[in-house]
Amino acid sequence: MAFVTLSEAEKVYIVHGVQEDLRVDGRGCEDYRCVEVETDVVSNTSGSARVKLGHTDILVGVKAEMGTPKLEKPNEGYLEFFVDCSANATPEFEGRGGDDLGTEIANTLYRIFNNKSSIDLKSLCISPREHCWILYVDVLLLECGGNLFDAISIAVKAALFNTRIPRVRVLEDEEGLKDIELSDDPYDCIQLSVENVPCIVTLCKIGYRHVVDATLQEEACSLASLLVSVTSKGVVTCMRKVGKGSLDPESVFEMMETSKRVGKVLHTSLQSVLHKEESLGPKRQKVGFLG
Amino acid sequence: MPGDNRRIRGPEESQPPQLYATDEDEVPAARDPTRLRPVYARAGLLSQAKGSAYLEAGGTKVLCAVSGPRQVEGGERGGGPAGAGGETPAALRGRLLCDFRRAPFSGRRRRAPPGGSEERELALALQEALEPAVRLGRYPRAQIEVSALLLEDGGSALAAALTAAAIALADAGIEMYDLVVGCGLSRAPGPEPTWLLDPTLLEEERAAAGLTVALMPVLNQVAGLLGSGEGGPTESWAEAVRLGLEGCQRLYPVLQQCLVRAARRRGAATPP
Repeated sequence: MAFVTLSEAEKVYIVHGVQEDLRVDGRGCEDYRCVEVETDVVSNTSGSARVKLGHTDILVGVKAEMGTPKLEKPNEGYLEFFVDCSANATPEFEGRGGDDLGTEIANTLYRIFNNKSSIDLKSLCISPREHCWILYVDVLLLECGGNLFDAISIAVKAALFNTRIPRVRVLEDEEGLKDIELSDDPYDCIQLSVENVPCIVTLCKIGYRHVVDATLQEEACSLASLLVSVTSKGVVTCMRKVGKGSLDPESVFEMMETSKRVGKVLHTSLQSVLHKEESLGPKRQKVGFLG
Repeated sequence: MPGDNRRIRGPEESQPPQLYATDEDEVPAARDPTRLRPVYARAGLLSQAKGSAYLEAGGTKVLCAVSGPRQVEGGERGGGPAGAGGETPAALRGRLLCDFRRAPFSGRRRRAPPGGSEERELALALQEALEPAVRLGRYPRAQIEVSALLLEDGGSALAAALTAAAIALADAGIEMYDLVVGCGLSRAPGPEPTWLLDPTLLEEERAAAGLTVALMPVLNQVAGLLGSGEGGPTESWAEAVRLGLEGCQRLYPVLQQCLVRAARRRGAATPP
């Protein structure tokens, strides 16, 4: 990830501040920075979202395409994730530099969606064993300002909420040949339910306490972090330790409790923002990339 | 006569016959959730590697080799920031490169050698779990390569690979703060969240959630944690982590004995 050079004095300052529940920008240990979410920013996709979390900028586009279901799961569609760390984010991502981080994030996304309840994959099936919807979720990292995983998971959830998959009918001929018919009305779509889509909460261990939503400077002071993916109901779908250092078992349990609390608040505010944006309808003012 | 590719229409891809067999639902036998399978560990068996270890737990067989420390042409990494501990700047710190490979015949279906993203994810998990234990500050501008080869997957493969890698590093004489012991867990689908320690392949395949914990036993620090699936609320995951850490502590004496035996063997082989 992007590196910041910090002097020893700055690190000590950050660590001591965190001990007192006071971070450099005035937040408490469990506060997020101001998040801006906007959906439907890219017109060629089935769904898209842009999230700005402090200096971190993520753009997600979802494209729905028809394909054959996997052999082991013939009645379900599936999701494919691809993460591109653009060279705009930091100079280290130039050329192939961002590939490792991109595969790591994509693998984490596969993990958090790797269960039955996150997304209803059966609704993506068109005809068993022959056709299904494949959702290609492409994540673009435009700017790296710390706490990538959280921002990406929020953007993926918002993009999936915004995804409109065209309604399709399978007609069978007398000879048994199947034909797929797209409905004539362009607004006749199925929407996915994102009630159980999880969001990632990253907790960085700084000193003896942990912080939520660390900036680049705070990440440089932290040796180990715990990444927890939690749904709006408090169900955990993925847990991972990230970083070079080790964690005390008691810290692990405390971090899990914090992630549940913080995750619930994050989900309720995200849901309310997304519903409010959708209720404004197609005539709402789009800020896009100019704001 | 050699087969005519244009006239004989066969499938392009090959599949194992089990895919087309009728689904006989093999339910894993009920067992004590805290039982650990007996482990056989041996260090120092490969002559060409600096350090090596072979670990067998139930049906899982892992072979791990360590080579290095080898000099790395510095400079391309550039000047990074000073490490958070402040001892050696990141450019001078040693590097740990981990590689995790599955043999093509290790699982139920044949997997061609370039394993793809799953193996890279497990290699990253190996690296993240081993780094806290290795004193990389003592190997400036050097890199240590750890490669784990899974010969047979019988459940909890990542945990076995972690343990084997730690024994191999110790056998290679790399300076470490502590050994790393790995333990796998899985949760069967269903309403009651009972976590099973050290699952077999059948239990893992039928599982709703899986977790691997890595512990440094003497320092009592969690070195690695990787889990996913429908595990339920945080309390259930916390219980699983506790069970895993307990399992790691129980496994530690076996590894100590294995290293002592390897040291004795080495001492006997090179007469003074």
